[in-house]
Amino acid sequence: MTTLTEFSIRRPRAVYGIVLLSVLALGAFLGRTQIDTDPENMLPSTQIDRLFHNEVERRFSLHDAIVVGVVNERDPNGIYNPRSLAALHRLSHSILALEGVVPPDLMSLAQADNISQEGEGVLRFEWMMQEAPVTLDQAAELRAKVDRLPLLRDTLVSGDGRAAAIYVPIVSKDLSHPLSLAIRDLAAGLDSDDDFHITGLPVAEDTFGHDMFVQMGISAPLAGLMIFLLMFYFFRSVQLVTVPMLVAVATVVASMGLLTALGFSVHIMSSMIPIFLMPIAVVDSVHIMSEFADRYRPGADVRRVIRNVVEELFTPMLFTSATSALGFLSLLLTPIPPVQVFGAFVAFGILVAFLLTITLIPAYVVRMSPSSLEALAARGEVLESESLLARLLRRLGRTAVVHAKPIIGVALLLAVVSALGVARIQINDNPVRWFKENHPIRVADRVLNQHFAGTYDAFLVLTFRNDEARAEFQRAAEAALSELAPEVAALIEPRLATAPALSNEDLDAWYGDLIAVIDDALFDVEDPEDQDRLARLLALTESAQSTGRYFQRPESLRTIESLQAALATTGLVGKTNALPDIVKVVHRELRGGRAEEYRVPDTAPAVAQSLLQYQSSHRPQDLWHMVTPDFASTAIWLQLKSGDNQDMSQVLQALDRELEAQPLPAGLELAWAGKSYINVVWQQSMVQGMLKSLLGAFVAVLVIMTLLFRSWRLGLLAMVPLSLTIVGVYGAIGWIGKDYDMPIAVLSALTLGLSVDFAIHFIARTRSLLRESGSQGIALEALFEEPARAIARNAIVIAIGFTPLFFAPLVPYITVGSFMAAIMAISGLTTLLLLPALVTAAGPWLFPDLPLAQLNQEVSS
Amino acid sequence: MTRQRILLTLGVLFLVGTGSSGLAQSNLEDADAIVARANLAAYYAGADGRSEVRMIIADAQGRQQRRQFTVLRSDVEDGGDQKFLVSFSQPSDVRGTVFLVHKHADRDDDRWLYLPGLDLVKRISAGDKRTSFVGAHYFYEDVSGRSPSEDLHRFVEATETHYVLEHEPREDADVEFHRYVTWIDRSTFLPTKIEYHNEAGQIYRRVEVLAVEKIDGNPTVTASRVSDLLSGGQTDMQFRYIKYDLGLPAEVFTERSLRNPPRQWLQRPTD
Repeated sequence: MTTLTEFSIRRPRAVYGIVLLSVLALGAFLGRTQIDTDPENMLPSTQIDRLFHNEVERRFSLHDAIVVGVVNERDPNGIYNPRSLAALHRLSHSILALEGVVPPDLMSLAQADNISQEGEGVLRFEWMMQEAPVTLDQAAELRAKVDRLPLLRDTLVSGDGRAAAIYVPIVSKDLSHPLSLAIRDLAAGLDSDDDFHITGLPVAEDTFGHDMFVQMGISAPLAGLMIFLLMFYFFRSVQLVTVPMLVAVATVVASMGLLTALGFSVHIMSSMIPIFLMPIAVVDSVHIMSEFADRYRPGADVRRVIRNVVEELFTPMLFTSATSALGFLSLLLTPIPPVQVFGAFVAFGILVAFLLTITLIPAYVVRMSPSSLEALAARGEVLESESLLARLLRRLGRTAVVHAKPIIGVALLLAVVSALGVARIQINDNPVRWFKENHPIRVADRVLNQHFAGTYDAFLVLTFRNDEARAEFQRAAEAALSELAPEVAALIEPRLATAPALSNEDLDAWYGDLIAVIDDALFDVEDPEDQDRLARLLALTESAQSTGRYFQRPESLRTIESLQAALATTGLVGKTNALPDIVKVVHRELRGGRAEEYRVPDTAPAVAQSLLQYQSSHRPQDLWHMVTPDFASTAIWLQLKSGDNQDMSQVLQALDRELEAQPLPAGLELAWAGKSYINVVWQQSMVQGMLKSLLGAFVAVLVIMTLLFRSWRLGLLAMVPLSLTIVGVYGAIGWIGKDYDMPIAVLSALTLGLSVDFAIHFIARTRSLLRESGSQGIALEALFEEPARAIARNAIVIAIGFTPLFFAPLVPYITVGSFMAAIMAISGLTTLLLLPALVTAAGPWLFPDLPLAQLNQEVSS
Repeated sequence: MTRQRILLTLGVLFLVGTGSSGLAQSNLEDADAIVARANLAAYYAGADGRSEVRMIIADAQGRQQRRQFTVLRSDVEDGGDQKFLVSFSQPSDVRGTVFLVHKHADRDDDRWLYLPGLDLVKRISAGDKRTSFVGAHYFYEDVSGRSPSEDLHRFVEATETHYVLEHEPREDADVEFHRYVTWIDRSTFLPTKIEYHNEAGQIYRRVEVLAVEKIDGNPTVTASRVSDLLSGGQTDMQFRYIKYDLGLPAEVFTERSLRNPPRQWLQRPTD
């Protein structure tokens, strides 16, 4: 153990060299950093909902989309004026030319198709807005057309006519941020007074990734600078303060370098690693430097002093590091890969920081010039023990001893109040809320969701499976084949043999193949009886194919309609778009355009023929975003006004209730997909995982504390500050009403790791002081000298050191900053106030091996 | 001005052939003259004809939809008006759906539609013709016609086997293409390949002939393909049971045929 320190004291240059080389070697990998901002990756790539989500995107050819809103609040006609429409038209066409956009799937008034009446009994298919209208009358005509198409209303143009939207599908979500900037530039170049807004979950996520990267470069160094300045204020020695900073920087570079070197991408979580490691790395160094500054007197042997300091602090530092690392390692219990990576590398960093602290600092100290050492010592004598902090702490110590019982009482009361707050915690997340209120993405989100049915999407997917019918057809077809003349059967047989095993996507096309083969054979066969048999087989196959096309049946469309109606009653779903909406519009126009014909026709052929007309549009492929070409699977598109997981969860629950009351027809499977849904899934698994990891870590830390102090009583005592801190912080979140989201969930590990540190130092020092003095009073008095100062300085440095995070534009950074402050304040105060109070009140019980009982009596009398 | 209707792609689509051109290769350089010859050669084979079309529409993932229909055609005047009757037989849910087109050289076409499932006859406005033909990657205009007078034609080169021509629309706003290039067979005058270019200079759409057979003395396209090069989808067409000069009577191409398809002419010829 201390051999490392010994080596560092003797060969400081070698230590410098080794540290520098390792840090440079690992740091070299930083250039290869890969950023990953996709919340989907919060789920393992094999997670079932995620697999299904991807399957649905493939099945319905769906792409992530950027939502561009054009809003006009001034014109009495809203966006239905020539100038706004011209801008919209121009913008849509410019966006189509951008690299990374999927042109055929872009949705905008300028790309939409229209089906309408042209005089009596004449049907017209045309672009909705091939050219922007030039007169107000034309604009009004356009509005009348749009209002007749429920699929467009509140999706492409808001019901109030004030806003139009362009949905820009993109080939990859990584392009969301650069494309959103390109679109913003395009909009800025338009001749228009309209407001342009850009949002959508992919944009929020990708922009967050971009900003996060920027913040990693701004906030972390700023926090570092702040910590440096604070420490300088306390120690008044650049040299003394430089080492902890070097330790912190080396730790961060080594950890992030290793993370990159091992091929992990920097996720939203791992981007916080530097910010988490910084205070932890500084803490141990401050303990050593602080102790050293206190003990060193001019003329003393530097080596002996630093050796003694390290020896005395080694055990508590090892244990604080081990417990902090354990807190973060417990994150491996959450089933969320980025959180696991985060936990593992913070833990790694903590151990690196520990190693550096017991090597780099001694190496540095022994190389300090005599004059610096003298300055340090002189400063120590004068400033340290008579500083404001020192005086305050002494008073605090006396208070803790004198008012032990009231302090314990207040602490208990606060714990109860906090526990009540914990029970009020609202679990919720929404990537858009990771931005501050006034961020353009938040503004766009607010404005567009005011006007439209919603910019968040989810998909309710229905799939029909009927393996029995499939097997039945095979039996019937084989029986029919056996009746045919062998040479005729031989024409059909090979095709029948290639049947897909189950009802799957290939089945419909296979029926089509078989029909073609039978149809051809029918022409070649001469025997009238065989012709009859073939004709029957053809009819059988056609009927099997029709049956498989489940979502061409009117009753199936009505099932979809009732689900749509149920979703509408939640009040959270702005609108749903689904296959029946297409069928009803086409049917209405085929029947002459009267409102009462806006309905699902009565037979499957009528549905099929209506859809054949829909496919005769400019955008036949739009159909396949709602139903598969075999008509066996369909997607109901939900537009949600809020990206809150809570709201999505409520929609899920509402649908479950509906399905309980009104079960689906047999053979129909229902499942969810879409970003909003995926966010709910990973959040649920995260909340459960975090609870598990927190409990696991709590027990593990308790065990370690018991082992460390070889006393379960002291083990329990050590758990007091961290328990109070966790309950206090999360209780406050519950009372304030802030949502329990991803950053807050992960911070529980930090809370656990950081707040146990002070307790370890406190108890270790208390015990050794008690042993030395044999007196509770004397021990506590001594404790409120250097040890208390080290704890208080640490708390202050970290709490204030992270205030630069308050100015970050990203909410999770602000959250981390507030947490740091809260953790330091609560755990610092608990350690310095409640622990001495508890020692005072229950000293003999806590330290049964020390002869305190009678001494205690002395003190109180 | 005679508004000739040439249907380069229609030639690919439907019954195609030429009675006039021999086996010898022609040698022309005047783009308008080649287009006029191709129009006649590719499109007005025989006085009338029939063909059964099997259409396989595949999306980028290879998922297929099938259509099967019979086309009857009758020329009113060579190079001028024509009439078409298109009757669907597969899939069975759309069986009996019929399109009737009276194509006019000097005005918009007349189009009718019959949907048996709704027992409904509708007229369809000529409107925009670059919409999909029943979900295929072929456009309606590939069926109902794009007049040569709508484009400017330019001779590019004569290869060993083909004339290469470039065409630009006179009215940019009406069409989605910026220009297109055709390869016209020098001996049959059948357009065998057409490539459409967009504003960005990409080839985004290709129509190509996959097989040509001589039927009743007319070189005839029996397989063709259109590819959407942006989305990756494609539509294949196979033409079978082709016959020319059947002597189709005029009443086959009247509205009466919508509800009562002329079975006699739609069924496969047995000889």
